[in-house]
Amino acid sequence: MTATGATSATHEVFGGQSGGGAPRPKGGAPRPKGFFTDTTVCIGCKACEVACKEWNQLPDDGFSFTGMSYDNTVDLGASTWRHVSFIERPVPLSGQVAGQGSFSWLLMSDVCKHCQRAGCLENCPTGAIVRTEFDSVYVQPDVCNGCGYCIVGCPFGVIDRREEDGRAWKCTLCYDRLKDDMEPACAKACPTDSIQFGDLDELKVLAGGRLQTLRERGVSEAYLYGVDEASQPGTEGLNAFFLLVDRPEVYNLPPDPVAPAKRNGSGWASMAAAVVAMAAAAIGAVVAGRNGSR
Amino acid sequence: MSAEDVATSGGGHRPTEGDGRNVDPRVGILEGEAADQTAPARRSEAEGAAPFEVWRMVPSGDGDRRTDPTYYDRPAIKEPVWIWSVPAYFYVGGAAGAANVLGAVAQLVDREGMDGLVRRCRWIGAVGGGLGTAFLVIDLGRPERFLNMLRVFRPTSPLSLGSWVLAAATPAASGAAALSGAGGALRALADAAGLGAGLVGLPLSGYTAVLLSSTAVPIWQETRRTLPMLFVASAMSSAASLLELTGLNRREEEVVHRFGLAGKIAGMAAMVAVEKEASRVDRVGRPLREGVSGALWRSAKVLAGASLGLSLWPGRSRARTVARAVLGTAGAIAVRFAVMRAGKASAQDPRATFHMQRAGRGGREVTGRPATAGPPGSA
Repeated sequence: MTATGATSATHEVFGGQSGGGAPRPKGGAPRPKGFFTDTTVCIGCKACEVACKEWNQLPDDGFSFTGMSYDNTVDLGASTWRHVSFIERPVPLSGQVAGQGSFSWLLMSDVCKHCQRAGCLENCPTGAIVRTEFDSVYVQPDVCNGCGYCIVGCPFGVIDRREEDGRAWKCTLCYDRLKDDMEPACAKACPTDSIQFGDLDELKVLAGGRLQTLRERGVSEAYLYGVDEASQPGTEGLNAFFLLVDRPEVYNLPPDPVAPAKRNGSGWASMAAAVVAMAAAAIGAVVAGRNGSR
Repeated sequence: MSAEDVATSGGGHRPTEGDGRNVDPRVGILEGEAADQTAPARRSEAEGAAPFEVWRMVPSGDGDRRTDPTYYDRPAIKEPVWIWSVPAYFYVGGAAGAANVLGAVAQLVDREGMDGLVRRCRWIGAVGGGLGTAFLVIDLGRPERFLNMLRVFRPTSPLSLGSWVLAAATPAASGAAALSGAGGALRALADAAGLGAGLVGLPLSGYTAVLLSSTAVPIWQETRRTLPMLFVASAMSSAASLLELTGLNRREEEVVHRFGLAGKIAGMAAMVAVEKEASRVDRVGRPLREGVSGALWRSAKVLAGASLGLSLWPGRSRARTVARAVLGTAGAIAVRFAVMRAGKASAQDPRATFHMQRAGRGGREVTGRPATAGPPGSA
């Protein structure tokens, strides 16, 4: 993809009907959509990162060298809605024959999880963050006033505020493309189908099958991260879930995240007790002052 | 059709050179989901160097990383973007809330005898609320959209509830303060506003602690039971200290002294409790012991302790009253900034998040069910 005519070029490259997958039902409410990211087939090409930047016309983040393997993107942020992690492990993967020494690569394309209980959405005081008809979590840029409360509400460190812009930004699940019945740019561009987009219920079946295949082949470490409420009760499941082969921390994912609002009841209870005590102290102080004067 | 026509007809706009998108303005237009995002003004500053220390080790060469892994020690969550004005708001908002409460109680119990105290409380509530609102607005990324805070009412968001509380308390306290000297119907109106301000002053004095604990920041999340107590106690001593700096009469000074003393004792106890709650997972409590946040936390303790000591000192002296009020104010400000800095440090430490959740203090603590957090047999 060249810089020249990027807009028209991207529309041609990614536009049109997406190939593969079940035909989409016409009419009626769309079914919940999501991503199944199978990290075992990711080759770290970063086509998803590029496709995302190009389609969404996101500005670049500067060009810097981090020394973190081949990862110079570092993390998800306001202008980075897909991020490929590069993990060099000193241990081989089960069922894998290492070419040289004891070593394995883990590669993962990270993205906004579009949680069932979304910390960002539940914290947003302006109503800028909404759940769309596709069950994705979307920030309306014309409403967001940049208060920053979604940023600390996200247990995955996905959403961020861009300094020059002042508003919070994150993956939209390519809301514009979904409205036109196209799959998100990252999934479209992924050459190995590590990123699979579709109806959530179908993706779950697909992921279960893939997990079984891997285990049969001897990759006993494989497991699904955040596939449903049972596997991640704190978020009640992720609309963008992953197949991983090592602990979540290795991929910079939290092992047991929780939507902050799920647990703020004890905070409110504690505050209620404290303010009642304060009112009692005020009454005591004033009454003692009145009595003392007589 | 020229590029200009295309841009206007499609609802998009023209890219600018050097905005980091590399879209040729002669042939491309911006109409994507992020077309509206403002790009950096000075690109040269973003080039060349990573905004953090470059990783120098071969990751696979470090054997310890298998037992306590992180992703190149990069933070697992985003650091709060809030600037100094947010902890400053915590202080003035808390003081305003507690003053509203004390003023309303004084008004109910002894309206005539404590007129001076009632008026001063209302003014602290009014000025604190106004100043606090200004502090919050300047922290916004888009300050001109501050009214969007009152666009929805969202019970899951303490910030949303707090915005409504602040929006109710500030006009009520201001109205009550402005009409304090009036007579007749206006006086009745002022007293009604004063009572209303006292009622919303209750949550105003402490909701900011719930706001902090309703986040993914480990130390804030972990201290969700004790932090509200600390913030309310701190609000009490903040309001009392400000009142003590005004010329109160002897009886009023006694009232404020008792109110402030209760706040200071509760505050010291709450600081110990916060430390204890934060340190249930060692890594989570670390920012209260180390770094800038640790130093601020210790100074807050010393200042609050000194103020408490002077409050307990027998006998009366104007100089001592002023000294304890100044120390109490400084301690209350220090504790808000310490908590903010501790949160930033906590967010930067991926192990704080990981250790806390591995210790069963993540989703499992709420739901009672563990998450799938590793290969079969590993977790």
